[in-house]
Parts: sequence; structure tokens; C-alpha cells
Amino acid sequence: MAASKPSTDPNTNIPEYEYTDVNTHIFHIGSFRNEWLNRLKPSNYSYQQEDEDTFDANFAKEMGISAETMTDLKSICSLDSLCCHPEDEQPDTEVVPPDSTLRTLVQRKKKQDHRASLKISKNRHDLYADELERLTVGRKPEAVTDMVPEGEVILTINVYYPAVYEKFIYSRPHITLLMTGSHSLAELRDAICCVSDLQVCGEFSNTPDIAPDFISKDHYKSAFFFFEGVFYNDMRYPECQDISMTTIEWAKAHKFPPYSQAKMEDTRFMDLKVKVGFPYLYCHQGDCEHLVIITDVRLSHKVDCLDKKLYPLLTHKHRVITQKCAVCHVFIGRWFTTNDQFAPSDPCLFCDKCFRMLHYDAQGNKLGDFLAYPFVDPGAFN
Amino acid sequence: MDFCQKQVKSDCEELLGRFQTTDSVRFEIFSKIWREMNFTQIFYGTVNHERRAFSRLILDTAYSFFLPPFSFQIRVGGLYLLYSLYHCQRASPPEQIRLALKNWEDVKKFEKDAVDAQHLDVIYILRQLMLRKAFNFTAMPTVLAFNKKRKMERAALCEAFMERASRPQELINIELLEELSNVDDHYGKLKTSIGLQADPSINLIRKELVPELRSTVVDFYKWQQRKGGAGGHEDEDSGEGTSSQQECSKRAQLISSIKSKAYGEAAEASKSRRHRQVEVDFTSYEAGPSLSSGYSRTNKPSLKARTNENVHVSGDLWEEATRTTHINRLTTLDFVPEEKPKTYKRFKW
Ligand SMILES: [Zn+2]
Ligand SMILES: [Zn+2]
Repeated sequence: MAASKPSTDPNTNIPEYEYTDVNTHIFHIGSFRNEWLNRLKPSNYSYQQEDEDTFDANFAKEMGISAETMTDLKSICSLDSLCCHPEDEQPDTEVVPPDSTLRTLVQRKKKQDHRASLKISKNRHDLYADELERLTVGRKPEAVTDMVPEGEVILTINVYYPAVYEKFIYSRPHITLLMTGSHSLAELRDAICCVSDLQVCGEFSNTPDIAPDFISKDHYKSAFFFFEGVFYNDMRYPECQDISMTTIEWAKAHKFPPYSQAKMEDTRFMDLKVKVGFPYLYCHQGDCEHLVIITDVRLSHKVDCLDKKLYPLLTHKHRVITQKCAVCHVFIGRWFTTNDQFAPSDPCLFCDKCFRMLHYDAQGNKLGDFLAYPFVDPGAFN
Repeated sequence: MDFCQKQVKSDCEELLGRFQTTDSVRFEIFSKIWREMNFTQIFYGTVNHERRAFSRLILDTAYSFFLPPFSFQIRVGGLYLLYSLYHCQRASPPEQIRLALKNWEDVKKFEKDAVDAQHLDVIYILRQLMLRKAFNFTAMPTVLAFNKKRKMERAALCEAFMERASRPQELINIELLEELSNVDDHYGKLKTSIGLQADPSINLIRKELVPELRSTVVDFYKWQQRKGGAGGHEDEDSGEGTSSQQECSKRAQLISSIKSKAYGEAAEASKSRRHRQVEVDFTSYEAGPSLSSGYSRTNKPSLKARTNENVHVSGDLWEEATRTTHINRLTTLDFVPEEKPKTYKRFKW
């Protein structure tokens, strides 16, 4: 990637595109923040708004204009001058104006008419999306100490779910989280919920009642993030292993560029050097891999959620279509079986009730030959 | 929201196009066009969960007009558009205008130009947006999620809104003509001195090369002026700007007279002026204050191609390394159409 950037701009902490409209070159998040703070006046990023009269007075003074001119100027630039309807009429802003010449509205009208003809009502997921938005916006903490400081960095992070099915390539299910620059990577890890953390491992056809207590997260705590050549391992618990070592040694042995390691709990976002828009990796449970993309980095704003305690803040969650039981088609699958003579397919998915009714007698004795594995549906989090 | 991106852009261009024909940078004029077009209505009829996304889209679209390479006048229009959209949007609390760190200098320079020219409405509106916390101070102008649709979205910039091309004038400037004339002169003398001027086989250079070149560029310039038609002085107007229309056109006349003078003097320009290029360099008049940072699109090879290029995999491990993992599939899909003939050759087998 040599010479990808002409030497005209020596400041590498002012993000530029590495690849237009896709991702930036690498920069240091803390330094990026400082670049902004050096350029701005504290009043620019303060959560408080300066008094309007003070503003007017200062403006008139600086421009050397009279109070009269100032009044004229304010009236010329007033928002009333943008009003597109008679004063005594209140337009219905919910309705697309039928006779507009704006192309956007012509299209929106068509779409709305089409939607009306289909009689689709809003589903619960759209309502949920609205709900998320309403909760997050402009929240203030009860204690001042929990306030996100002015000029703090806010990151938007997308975490993608493994592409298990072909169709996922096109829709890319993900969650979106907001974090501040002083959060650590470990806090990001704890905010990512993934079914493989809840997966129960093992075959339990002979003892279906003891299965559910055996959850992966308790057994396989190791995980890492990979950003720009560095593996950030979770080393918070004694049973954590540095699972990046295998990769690092493999890479070394095969003449890849060298990789290094750090602890995720010791690394704050502020300390990271990253590319915005670039796909990185989160790996846990040994082989459950997630893409992680930092889609935005910016200074905090007064309408952000200002309560530190509410971060990492979930702002988007995909919906997953749950897989139903092959027998009743009503309940979400809890077991999948293989080599199962009762099953219509191999493997086959059953809800708990149908599974037990079909595979065990009234006394709970196993009937016939099959292997049974507990199953956690990805949609169980919806 | 991507479905309406084209429509939104075209509506903004229509508004700014009308603003451009007025040759004005006054907010009064802008708001009149806004009202005529019923532009506030652009937010009407967005359903709840679309509101914020639509605000985001239209603010991002408008933002691009506020930056170079557009002319000063269009950038003023872009600022007014941001101000108006910001206040008329239906998302509550309002969606912010994203201001990228790399564009900060452009905005400061724009503000300075406006102050120097005493465009009070421009300065007032920019400062009002600051006062009301309408900006988010960001890393990049848009949120970046490694999107594959970028090819479609990379629509052409509206040419009419940009500063007029001045490359021929820039290239064939007085310095060059002078130099060329000297060389031509010298060459002629050399030929004479060795007594070859009679031999037609060495008449390789056109006679009158320099005047011809000059008149061609002058013709081009005149044609360009004619083509500009009624709005002939809009780009000069867009320069440091003056507070009234009348002064603008006066200034335009002045600039064009300076230009024609520069050409008229081309032949007799003295050597002493050689380093004072500013006086004869067309571009310094032609370009508004906005052209300071050049505009170029870099076309880089795809991520995959670049990775391939950078990572040297030894021996038969290549196969193992490229075996499609889920992650690999997610990252590569976008770039498939981008790929030139596969670059596997570059690997050391
Ligand atoms: Zn996972
Ligand atoms: Zn069932």
C-alpha cells in the first residue's frame, strides 16, 4: 500500500478517504478528537446554547452594523421566509402533497399509493425501531458524574452476524452500538450478544433434562478483536486463553506481516488506530466470527444520550426470522436431531414439546435411535 | 432510503440551478425560490421511522453543494439549503448536519471570504447554525458501512455549478508564450547561422507558431465567454464577492479587461515580469476562493486486490488462505465486479 497517500498532507489524524465513499485511511481516534478540539471554540461543542441576544450583540459589533441593520438582517433570514403555505392554514404534513413538481414527492406519492393498495400495516419490528430511537435521544443522567463530558468522542459500531445462510449475504444482519472514546474493547465485547454464547454443546438424547444448564459462555470465555494487525484478547478471567497465539505463530511461520497482541480490557477506543468504514474481526467461541465496522466517529452532541451508564447503547437491531418446529410449525425450535428415524428430514428441528412427545414414552424412556442436540434459535433475541 | 437519492439530488440541483441564474448570493432571493418550489413540502408524508433517515439523506446531499469544487455562489446556495432543510425537517430532535474534519478549512475559508465581502446574510446564517448546534463534528461526511452500492451512487457532479475550466489559459499563459517565442527565435537564428534556412527539409516548425497558439487560446476564451451567455460574469461574481450586484459586474468588467490586457501584452512582456506570474495568470482571477483545494477522485483498486498485492503468501498455502470463510464471503462479495483480471500471478508460487 506504499505511496497510497501523497505527502502533501502530513497530518494523518485528519481522516481522508483511502477508498472513496468506502473507508478512510488509518488514524488515531484520540488524536482525531484533539484535532477537532484544537479547531473549535468550547462553545461550539458545548451542550449549552449561547444566549440569542448576546449572539446578536456580538454579531452586530463584529460586523460593525447598527441595531437597525441587525433587525433587518434577522427578519430577512427568519425561518418564516421559508414558509410554503398561507399563514392561516395548517398543512397536513403526514400526507404527500398530490400536485408537487418535486421529483422526490412524485416518487413518494407513487410509493405511498402502492403501499396503501397492499394494506400493509406497520409490524412490531418497525415499532420497535421507533422505540429504540425514542429511548436513546437526548437522555440526561441523574448524577452529574455520569454525564458524557463535552467534546467526548462517540463511535458508532456495527457488529455483523455470521453469514450462515446464503440470503444473509444480501441483508447482512447486524446490531449497531454507540460507544464513547473512554470505553474499552471489553465493554464492547460484553455488549455483543450472539447465540453461539448460548449454544449448548453436546449430544443429550439420553438425558434431555440436564441439557439446558450447559451454556457455552460459561465454558469458553476466550475471545479477541482484530484491528489493524493487533489482536486484542480478553484476559479478564483466569480461564481465558490467548486464542490469537495460534494465528500469530501461523502467520509468522508463513511470512505474513507481523501481528501483535494487547488486552481488550486495557484498550480504550481513544487509544485505537483504525480505519472508519473498514471491516475488522471479532472472534469468540473459538470459531464464531463477526465482522465489526466502525461506521462513524464524531464529537458528542447535546442531543446524544448523555448518560454514560446507558452506553454501550443499542440503536439498531436486525430481526431474524425464527425457525419453527417441523411438527407443529408454531413454536421456535429447541432441539435438532440427526439419524432420526421419526424425522422428516436430517437434521430436523423440533420444539421441546413435540420433541419429547415423539421421541420418549410417558415414562421418559428414549424410543428408537437418534442423536439430539439442544438448539438456540438466532431469532430468540428478537 | 437509497431509493430516493437520485430524486432528492435532482430537486436540490433544480433549486440551486434557479438560484444560480439570479446571479445573487442573497438569502432573500434564495428563500423566494424555496417558496416558489414549495420546498418545505419535501418532508411531507414521510412515515415515522423514515423521517430521520430521510433527513439524514437530504442533509448529506445538500452538504456536498456547500463544499468545493462548486463556485462560491453555489456554496452559498448550499449553505442556505442546509439552513432551510435543517429547520424544516420533521425529525425531532433534528438530525444534525455532518461536518467532516477535512472540510473544516474549506468552511473557515468560505466564512472569511464572506466576511471580507460583507455578505452579512451568509455569515449570519452560518453562525446561526453554529449557535443552534446544527453541526455534528465528524470524521467523515457520511456514515461508512462498507457499502457495495457506491458505484451507482457515485453520480456525476453538476458541471454547471463548478468554476469554469481554465486549463488552456492556465497552460498557455504569458510565461509559456514568452518562453516559446524565445526558443523559436533562437532556433531560427541557429538555422540562419549555419546557413540552412533555405533547405525546406528542415522547415519542421510552423511559421508564426506563437501568435497562432495565442490566438487559438484567445478564441477559446471568447467562445467560452459567449457560451456562458447571460451569466457571463457569474464566476467572477463568485470570487471574493462584493456586496452589491452592480459592483459585481463592474468587477467582472475590470477582470476581463485585465485579462485582455494580459493577452494584448503577451508579445512584449518583459523578462522582469517573469516571476510576477500572478498578474498574468488567468486562473487566479478565474477561480473563486473555493478552488483552493483541488478536487480529484482517486480510483484505487479494490480492497481484495490491494490485500492480494500486499500479502505475500508462500507456496501451496495460497489455497488454504483463500478458502472462503464466512467472513471472507462478506467482505469480498462487494468487490467482485471491481476485479480486473485476477491478480493471482503476483503471488510468488
Ligand atoms: Zn458469535
Ligand atoms: Zn412443535
